[in-house]
Amino acid sequence: MKKSNQLNIILNGENVKGNPGETILELAKRHGIEIPTLCNDPRLKPFSSCFVCVVEVEGMKGMQPSCSTKIQEGMKIETENEKVKKARKTALDLLVSNHYADCEAPCKQTCPAGVDVQGYISLIEKGLYNEAIGLIKQTNPLPAICGRVCVRPCELACRRNYLDEGAAVGIDYLKRFAADKDLLSETRYVPKIEPSTGKKVAIIGAGPGGLSSGYFLQPKGHQCDIFEASPNPGGWLRYGIPEYRLPNDILDQEVAAVTELGVNIFYNKKLGDNLSYKELKKKYDSVILTIGSQRGTLIGCEGDDAENVFSGIDFLRNMEMTGQKYDFTGKTVAVVGGGNTAMDCCRTSVRCGAEKVYVIYRRTEKEMPANPIEIHESKIEGVEYMFLTNPLKINKDKEGKLKTMTCIKMELGEPDSSGRRRPIPIEGSEFEIELDFALAAIGQKTEVSFLNDINKFSDNGKLEVNRWGDIATDENTLQTGIQSVFAAGDGVTGPATIIEAIAQAKIASRSCHQYLSGLPIEPEQKEFISRKDNFKELSSDDFLGRYQEQMREEMPVLAADKRKNFEEVELGYQDKEVAEHETARCMECGCTEIFTCDLKKYCTQYHADQKRFKGDFQEYPIDFSHPFIEIDNNKCILCARCVRICNEVVGANALGLVNRGFDTYVAPSMGGSLTETNCESCGLCISTCPTGAITENTSFKPGPVQLDTVNTICNYCSVGCELEYHHKSAFVWKVTGKEGLINKDGNICRYPKFGYTIMNDSQRITQPLLKVDDDFKAISWEKAFEVIADEIKGAEPDENGFFAGARLSNEEMYLIQKLARVGAKTNNITSFHYVGQGRGYESNYKANVPFEDIKKASKTYLLGAEINKDNAVVGFMVNNAREIENIPVELITNIEESALEHKVDQIFKIKSYYHFIKAINYYLIYKGLQNSLFIKDRCEGFEEYKTELLAEDYQKLISASGMCCQEHLEEFAENYNKEMNAIIIFSEKYISANVSKELFNLAMITGKLGKTASGLISLKEKNNAQGLFDMGISSKNGVGYTDLTDKKFVKRLIKKWNIKEFPEINDTCTKELLNEGLIKKFYIFGEDPIGCAIDKAKIQKWFADAEFMMVQDYFMTETTKQADLILPATFPVETSGSFTNAQKNIQQFEKQFKGKIEQENYAQLLAIIRNFSNNENLKNVDDIRKEIFELLPKKNTSGQYAFNYTRKDNWNKLFKHGCDFVVKKFDEDFDKAFNQ
Amino acid sequence: MEKTKVLVGLASCGISAGANKVYNKLIALKQADKLDIEITKTGCIGMCYREPLVEIIDQSGSYLYGEINEEKAVEIYDKHLKQGEPVKDYVVKSDLFETKDDTFWDGQVKIALRHCGVIDPENIDEYESHDGYKGIKNIVAENVGQEQVIQTVLDSGIRGRGGGGFPTGLKWRFAYKNKSDKKYIICNADEGDPGAFMDRSLLEGDPHAVIEGLIIGAYAIGASEGVIYCRAEYPLAIKRLNIALDQAREKGYLGKNILGRKHFNFDLYVKEGAGAFVCGEETALIASVEGQRGMPRKRPPFPAEAGLWGKPSNINNVETFANIPYIILNGAESFSKYGTEKSKGTKVFALTGKIKHGGAVEVPMGISIHDIIFKLGGGIIDDKKFKAVQLGGPSGGCIPEYLADTIVDYDSVNATGAIMGSGGMVVMDETTCMVDMARFFLDFTRKESCGKCTFCRVGTKRMLEILTRITEGEGEEGDIEKLEELAYQIKDNSLCGLGQTAPNPVLTTIKYFRHEYEAHIKDKKCPALNCKKLLTYTIDPEKCTGCTVCAKNCPANAIDGERKQVHFIRQDACIKCGMCYTKCKFDAIVLS
Repeated sequence: MKKSNQLNIILNGENVKGNPGETILELAKRHGIEIPTLCNDPRLKPFSSCFVCVVEVEGMKGMQPSCSTKIQEGMKIETENEKVKKARKTALDLLVSNHYADCEAPCKQTCPAGVDVQGYISLIEKGLYNEAIGLIKQTNPLPAICGRVCVRPCELACRRNYLDEGAAVGIDYLKRFAADKDLLSETRYVPKIEPSTGKKVAIIGAGPGGLSSGYFLQPKGHQCDIFEASPNPGGWLRYGIPEYRLPNDILDQEVAAVTELGVNIFYNKKLGDNLSYKELKKKYDSVILTIGSQRGTLIGCEGDDAENVFSGIDFLRNMEMTGQKYDFTGKTVAVVGGGNTAMDCCRTSVRCGAEKVYVIYRRTEKEMPANPIEIHESKIEGVEYMFLTNPLKINKDKEGKLKTMTCIKMELGEPDSSGRRRPIPIEGSEFEIELDFALAAIGQKTEVSFLNDINKFSDNGKLEVNRWGDIATDENTLQTGIQSVFAAGDGVTGPATIIEAIAQAKIASRSCHQYLSGLPIEPEQKEFISRKDNFKELSSDDFLGRYQEQMREEMPVLAADKRKNFEEVELGYQDKEVAEHETARCMECGCTEIFTCDLKKYCTQYHADQKRFKGDFQEYPIDFSHPFIEIDNNKCILCARCVRICNEVVGANALGLVNRGFDTYVAPSMGGSLTETNCESCGLCISTCPTGAITENTSFKPGPVQLDTVNTICNYCSVGCELEYHHKSAFVWKVTGKEGLINKDGNICRYPKFGYTIMNDSQRITQPLLKVDDDFKAISWEKAFEVIADEIKGAEPDENGFFAGARLSNEEMYLIQKLARVGAKTNNITSFHYVGQGRGYESNYKANVPFEDIKKASKTYLLGAEINKDNAVVGFMVNNAREIENIPVELITNIEESALEHKVDQIFKIKSYYHFIKAINYYLIYKGLQNSLFIKDRCEGFEEYKTELLAEDYQKLISASGMCCQEHLEEFAENYNKEMNAIIIFSEKYISANVSKELFNLAMITGKLGKTASGLISLKEKNNAQGLFDMGISSKNGVGYTDLTDKKFVKRLIKKWNIKEFPEINDTCTKELLNEGLIKKFYIFGEDPIGCAIDKAKIQKWFADAEFMMVQDYFMTETTKQADLILPATFPVETSGSFTNAQKNIQQFEKQFKGKIEQENYAQLLAIIRNFSNNENLKNVDDIRKEIFELLPKKNTSGQYAFNYTRKDNWNKLFKHGCDFVVKKFDEDFDKAFNQ
Repeated sequence: MEKTKVLVGLASCGISAGANKVYNKLIALKQADKLDIEITKTGCIGMCYREPLVEIIDQSGSYLYGEINEEKAVEIYDKHLKQGEPVKDYVVKSDLFETKDDTFWDGQVKIALRHCGVIDPENIDEYESHDGYKGIKNIVAENVGQEQVIQTVLDSGIRGRGGGGFPTGLKWRFAYKNKSDKKYIICNADEGDPGAFMDRSLLEGDPHAVIEGLIIGAYAIGASEGVIYCRAEYPLAIKRLNIALDQAREKGYLGKNILGRKHFNFDLYVKEGAGAFVCGEETALIASVEGQRGMPRKRPPFPAEAGLWGKPSNINNVETFANIPYIILNGAESFSKYGTEKSKGTKVFALTGKIKHGGAVEVPMGISIHDIIFKLGGGIIDDKKFKAVQLGGPSGGCIPEYLADTIVDYDSVNATGAIMGSGGMVVMDETTCMVDMARFFLDFTRKESCGKCTFCRVGTKRMLEILTRITEGEGEEGDIEKLEELAYQIKDNSLCGLGQTAPNPVLTTIKYFRHEYEAHIKDKKCPALNCKKLLTYTIDPEKCTGCTVCAKNCPANAIDGERKQVHFIRQDACIKCGMCYTKCKFDAIVLS
């Protein structure tokens, strides 16, 4: 761009230069100003519907949508002032006022600690237990403990409850299952520890709050020391919760998971007693008080000082402290209270041998705060309940011992402040029960005896208690009156739950970390969370009939008669399948796009308020009818990006807008299912949706979870798109396009978008397998290589045949031909992919017009290129050029009903590409319309070609072409000839080698080669089909497709490979060798010739008399099934290498996953080669690459083209799916999914 | 001696009032008697409030008969046509004597409507005999240059009559200056304002004038193709347009080498719109013509640069085009002599609402609103109190009684917060609730929003919800402020005129009638006694005779009382249907 053309703009007060034609949004982006936008996608024409990107431009009325406002000389633009912010916030408020959706599931929202339940359930589903625990531990460091004894508010909130069977997902059971698996596994989850900060924190109390604080702070690099008054860790977990619910060894293991991070615990240290704040202040930078609520309360009636009447928690603690159980044999015990402590007391009393155990509670069972499952279990264990009963008086015997208890009956009155109905005594209903023991489980108090000690030595504030006797803190940061002292747990809240203590520990730790880091102490910023509850109260009607009903996997428990002891009652899910089944019950209420949603991001940024414009909202059923694409209109914000990308890029027009105004919604064209439209299942709609309205319809639980990403090159077709795999521990969740060398817009097609699931397939072959008695047996790598070497050696060289798949990397291909030539001493090396198709394809890469020139063409011709399915990214480029640049597209096809018909301007239906092109060539030459200048300058062999072609019968060519009539053909020929920038796109999938030769002849005749945006674009079926030629996968050519009759080259090979002699060149073509059964031993790498055969019987014959067959692949294919030996193969992300695309762009990829396969493909090959050559010193991919480059011939840059006359068509395709099982599987699964 | 001529007003309004029957009756009578008179159809005569209208022009002069039914037709036929004795009782206008309806015509100047009600719209000869196609003929004959045509239009001072008010000549000049292999000229006949029918009257009454205007425009900017985008709800207009187009083609006004001038090729077709209000917006209209969803896009580029199919295009409204032949034929001065400094010529208004003389009137710019209502319009029905007038339909605003002296010109009207619009003028009296009126218009724009822009799509919906709440007595403190805030945000943040103007009725009513809003919200009262849920029906014991009619008719059984005893209404049961109020013969039901 010339400087002088630039425009002078004032952007937020700064003078900047703008490019003519640029929008304000683009200008701002170039200058590092991010303007929020929801409806803009650089791939699409500006639209301006969301009005989130508005800016203010001086002199222009109203606000301007920056995405469609072009800059003008002298413009004064404000992108961030108050008016702009207000407009953006209002736009977002309005959008979310009709966004009936949940960002987060209610389980997560209800959990005090905000544990990401949906996320960990998704991980458990996939067997990723360590990862699940990693996720849980971000918010809850005690999953094995909570998995047993949490009060589970999540399960109360679980929407499964709305369905018929009324049982929540077994969230806690699943957590326990994963936690137990993690505790037992060798690769237990351990958080990353940051380098030491040199700061020290003293934590008072080793209960759940203290342990959690240590867990959260130690990894931040702060040294945490916990001081515990008791001799053992756990606090209430140990001294309050009986062992039959929480075994001590589980507690100990989870404590160990905290101490192994470097946290120290000092026992028998009680603050204010044998530990003084004076000392702490000196040694530590900060203190966190997690002291719990220690003191039990008595019944609070006359006579409660009687002997054998005590507080429930003392009862429980004493047993743990002394190691002695109470002996209640034959006794009658009453437990007063209705909470979980009451449950622990009554069930423990049973275990202590009591004959009769009563629970006395003043309300009814419905009001009991105890966990329902506890009540249920206690009843099984024989506990009796006296509801609506309250103790009035304890009657002692002469010795002051409990004798009887006088109780009174209650009835429920009006609800009190807690919302529960207030119990009122019924006059005259007193009665008496005889008792031996009475336990009061009606509450605890916080003990703050250390207060004076702390305040005596504090010099930066004062610690205070609130009116309930608990430690006073700032409610958001949990900082106490002393700046360096924080507090969390029961000591702050009064007696509460474990998960609340953990949640508080997280807050206190965060504040403490801020304090230690010298940052202002601030609570976490509130994220915008869209909630269905903001719109209406949900009910069963919202769920019944929409979800499958599945019974809950109940917890296996000890039989009631086996419980007179302290063994753990709940046994945990017994196997993976049960857990997996339970995960299936999760209805995934939270949005899968929560981590990527732009709407949520901007709503958080602009503090959007979903209730500000509360009013009518639209509710739509979710459309799951497409096997890969899910449409949830409830979340849609009508940016129409999906509609537009489907039109402007894909050209399928499968989506449209229906209705007007507030009733507008996106729907598949014609109102039916997306499957009934021209949808190409490319998933570009998913890629462009700024929120979660169009998402992938996955076969697994998508979570969402935060994923890791790696880059790779697509291994389906020959376009060479760059991809991003989103995965967790190598389980691939989704694939997106990366803005790559080829796919500059980041577009990808359905193959990589949805074909990744094959990588998660559990049927993968992971070990070498040897066929023994018709069965495959796993053998060692060494053994496998030995077998192969022996087989090679045991045959005549030319009885061996090597076959390399077009999906392999260049490096792998190179090694395969090296193995053949060095090891087996044969040139019988080829790829089934090209077998029997003659010569011609090898030069298709030549004179290829770069894909990006498509948008510069004056007309595009698709000839034998069904680019809506195959090589679809090129199809997107063609369609986009047609939509945006108005470049017409003509289709020449021999397919009866081409799926491309709706996105081209003209269609020629013919029968034979070969005769069509030849007839055109004939006509142009006959009429003398050839570009003589070009031919003279750049081409060889024209005269010979002309003579031979003109000797043919023109009329026969026309009639064989299937073109309707001569005039049309000639008109076509003339128009093509005249077209200045014509590009013909063809694909080897539909075009024979001779057609491609004749297409080159046509391009030469018309002088269209070697110019910008003019000529040919050839496409291949497989990602590295070009590599087959370049790497010497040919019986007659070596690396660089060098002719093996080239003596100098062969000499170089002999030297490089350090071999004595080079194998003889076999004149018979491979197809002949196969047909005549001359190949006895097959070494097939990455191909499935039997499974992909068009004529299976014919192909089967080749292998009928095979003496040995070795096949390398990922899965059991029809070919591997026939093999004698199978080698497992590695996917590209599991190894390193390079692919060469149809345009000869070589793209490298790096190993990203530690694969399931111990030996990568190249390593396997090198190991086999080493059996034949003592001096094979290649070690890694880099070494291989280096050797290849050394052997490549110097580039031939003559720039001359040669005419090639062909006699007849040589269409002789033997295989479908590029002879690749991966493609075959995708194609078949795809068809199956649509035909279900 | 000329034959006696009978004209029957057969525009949609006349037809719906029964003019067809009258016409058929007259034809039948004529045929039976073989009377030597000429009976023709004509377009809208303008006096909608007197439809059906029949005009008789005989040797003595012209007589316009109003409110004619078959019976009266027979009477007029017998007395006037056969015996030559006009039935004066039915005459509403005559050039021989005064009638009480004469005020309706005083002050009107007919330029756009010059042929409406005068000629037979289905007969090109009649148009031609009234100087029709003379404008374009003169241009061709005198070889007037394109720029000169544009200059004349510019000099006339005519501004876009669709509501935008952009100088037509300038618009033409932009389209003329943009070079292209192909250009388009489009007539916007997507009249969508509730209560507006100016364009319909013109298309039904004088389609050739619009077509000639388009031909002149095409000549001026160099367009070879034209489109009349007409809403499908105007079947008669479409029918008459198509008849007129065929006739014009036949006579060589359309087609190749028009009027013998080489390379002057132009043809025109009618595109029926599906009646989406938003398609009146230029860019949405173009999208709709192209077969896409009618959604506006950001301007620039303006249609003059990249319009239909991406080519330079010019879009004007029906009334604008109808004025063009007159201006070309009679010179710029003939038009610009009317009006004010910045608003020249005349403007057609559709006068409706609580007005005595409703109809299509054409007045010179500069006339006061008061004069239109009280002189032409004859004042308020039942002589109730004039309250306000809504100008510009749903995009416009109201002008209250105390600003009735405002003169009709673009700037004066804009200053009040209303807009001139396309000419809808809805008159409201004291019984109109202004909150409800705003709610009505917003309901319209909300439904007609194309759904593209967030603010227009959701914002208008939210405003409507608030207004509905207010009229139902559920208004809350702060609602007015919320309405205002939303209104300004919607105006600022919408792509097209629909969104940018949709809040106008609310803003102007809040501006002039804030107290009415407050009464609804704070006192839960509707001062105009219009909002049902805010009304209280009680029985005046003084007047109640105990006739029991109210109780018998009450659908909610909310009225108690013994026969001959005073009745009373149980307020908790009353559904406020107003049945008792209507039924009571003694005016004993009190509304408050």
